[in-house]
Amino acid sequence: MIEVRDLTKRFGAVLAVDGVSFRAEDGAVTALLGHNGAGKTTTLRAVYGLIRPDSGSASVDGIDVAVERRGVQARLGVLSEARGLYPRMTAREHLRYFARLHGLDGSRVEDRCARLVDVLEMADIADRRAQGFSHGERTKVVLACALAHDPRNVILDEPTDGLDVMSTRAVRRLIRRLRDEGRCVVFSSHIMQEVAAVSDSIVILSAGRVVAAGTVDMLRESTGKESLEDVFVAITESQAEQA
Amino acid sequence: MTSLTASLGIVFRKELVDGIRDRRSLISALVPVAFIPLMMFFAFKTVSDRVEPIREVTVPVVGAERARALVDWLGQQAGVSIVPGPEEPQKAVRDGEIAFALVIEEDFAAEFKRSRTASVRVVVDSQDSRADRAAGRVRDLVRLYGQVIASRRLIVRGVSPEVARPVRVETVDMATRRERAASLLIMIPFALLMTVFIGGLQIAIDSTAGERERQTLEPLLARPVERIALVGGKWLTSITFSWASVGLTAALLVLGLEYSPLAQLGVRADLGVRDMATLLAAVLPLAPLVSAVQMAVATLARSYKEAQSYVSLLMLLPALPMVLMADPSSTQAAWQLGVPVVGQFMLVSDVLEGSGLSLLELGIPAIASLVGAAGALALTARLFRSERVVFGR
Repeated sequence: MIEVRDLTKRFGAVLAVDGVSFRAEDGAVTALLGHNGAGKTTTLRAVYGLIRPDSGSASVDGIDVAVERRGVQARLGVLSEARGLYPRMTAREHLRYFARLHGLDGSRVEDRCARLVDVLEMADIADRRAQGFSHGERTKVVLACALAHDPRNVILDEPTDGLDVMSTRAVRRLIRRLRDEGRCVVFSSHIMQEVAAVSDSIVILSAGRVVAAGTVDMLRESTGKESLEDVFVAITESQAEQA
Repeated sequence: MTSLTASLGIVFRKELVDGIRDRRSLISALVPVAFIPLMMFFAFKTVSDRVEPIREVTVPVVGAERARALVDWLGQQAGVSIVPGPEEPQKAVRDGEIAFALVIEEDFAAEFKRSRTASVRVVVDSQDSRADRAAGRVRDLVRLYGQVIASRRLIVRGVSPEVARPVRVETVDMATRRERAASLLIMIPFALLMTVFIGGLQIAIDSTAGERERQTLEPLLARPVERIALVGGKWLTSITFSWASVGLTAALLVLGLEYSPLAQLGVRADLGVRDMATLLAAVLPLAPLVSAVQMAVATLARSYKEAQSYVSLLMLLPALPMVLMADPSSTQAAWQLGVPVVGQFMLVSDVLEGSGLSLLELGIPAIASLVGAAGALALTARLFRSERVVFGR
């Protein structure tokens, strides 16, 4: 379970995140939906402890990240905005490195690596060096690294960014699978269809604030719009009028 | 979650494998190994050529027919052979066709007969040290011939030659060739210190500024690992590369001294394996500080390129004590041992002068280096917590 309470973060003159609160339950997919610059990445970074909020707090499974950063990070699998690989290391070596950093050892490391290679269908690239991987292959490896320690909570920042159709579908399948395994999944996106396709609960961010939140059905009901795209436009427009 | 030491070990192992696979890291560790002994070899060779006495000398003589007696006498001296000189000796020397020439002046015979001072000229380019020394040998011989003739003329006139030589000067040269050559060994501390700076440089940059440039820093920092363990693992890798590089350079230097022209000058016994081991004990403890500072500087830089230029500037540091110590009026105070780079330089100079080092003398610079390293590591770990540094804002 991931909980964000009244989070605020300012970069110089820009108020990037302005009082964001939401709660993501276990066994559910929660989407942060918003334009580029709406504050999605900053909010997520505050959850996994790389940004210190000016006020408010974030917690994972009840542990406050400001109090126990490593405790929170141990419970989180993170696909961050930066998603580079070490060009001279193979996919499997990446998995081993991160699994070990999370405290796995001996046969548990190899078992976990084998399982991830299987689940993410990366047997063909597992023992190749990362140099020269395609964008899709890179994303697979980075995703596998995020899951190296079998985390109960998963944060995915724009997981389908730049992927082709087949890879996008594979990522969506993975998100559903993680939810069905009972994990708490939070992902960010600016693509409406994607959010509608996989999320149980949606948090719409605009200019650093939560402008609407709820299930897809709840949002449809409150705005009287049928498609999620219309819902999104209606909400952000009414927000702009208020401002 | 892993313990601090376990994380440190995991990061160290990964960076070591990654570094060994990186051609740039290997090159930066191996360049000094290959280059520095080579550079010194040529420096030694030049100097030993200069010190080596000239035994065989071929003298091109212009106008030999004007001074048959002199030329014949020269030709009879040990190691001297006479050849006819070129028409235009000045041009020939300038063009490098011959090293030097002895020119007998037109009026030599006439002046000589009248017992007046007859002239010869030695044409030489004094920049060419070998030619200059050969010409000097000929000059000395001609002067000696002059003295022989002078004595004869005085005796003929019933005067003792000693009347014409009121004072005799003799120089006793106490400088052995070994001591002359030993002054060259001052290059060794410079070479070793330089290697400390170059050996782990690429790792220091690649594991900090490189990690950010490759977009792997954020995923790494999202792991439940102590920052100081991450920084420490990378630091140990950089030190390992640095030490390997210094060790190889030292081994090559020992071999080089054994088989280079310097050995002929008698330095061989002066710097054996034992002394090199003492040198390493003096120089290796500098690596922890250098690597830590290089990492801190590379982390502070805004980009990989910027990191490279800043860290390269740090390499000017080993030249600093060379400049300071070159001033003979500067005194070596004990506290200077605690100044990084300067301290190591002093230790190395002591070893080369033949004095042994006490544990205290070795210990002070080593401890100073470790204290400085701890500071630089703490700074880097702090920088890894800074949003501005991690995300490049």
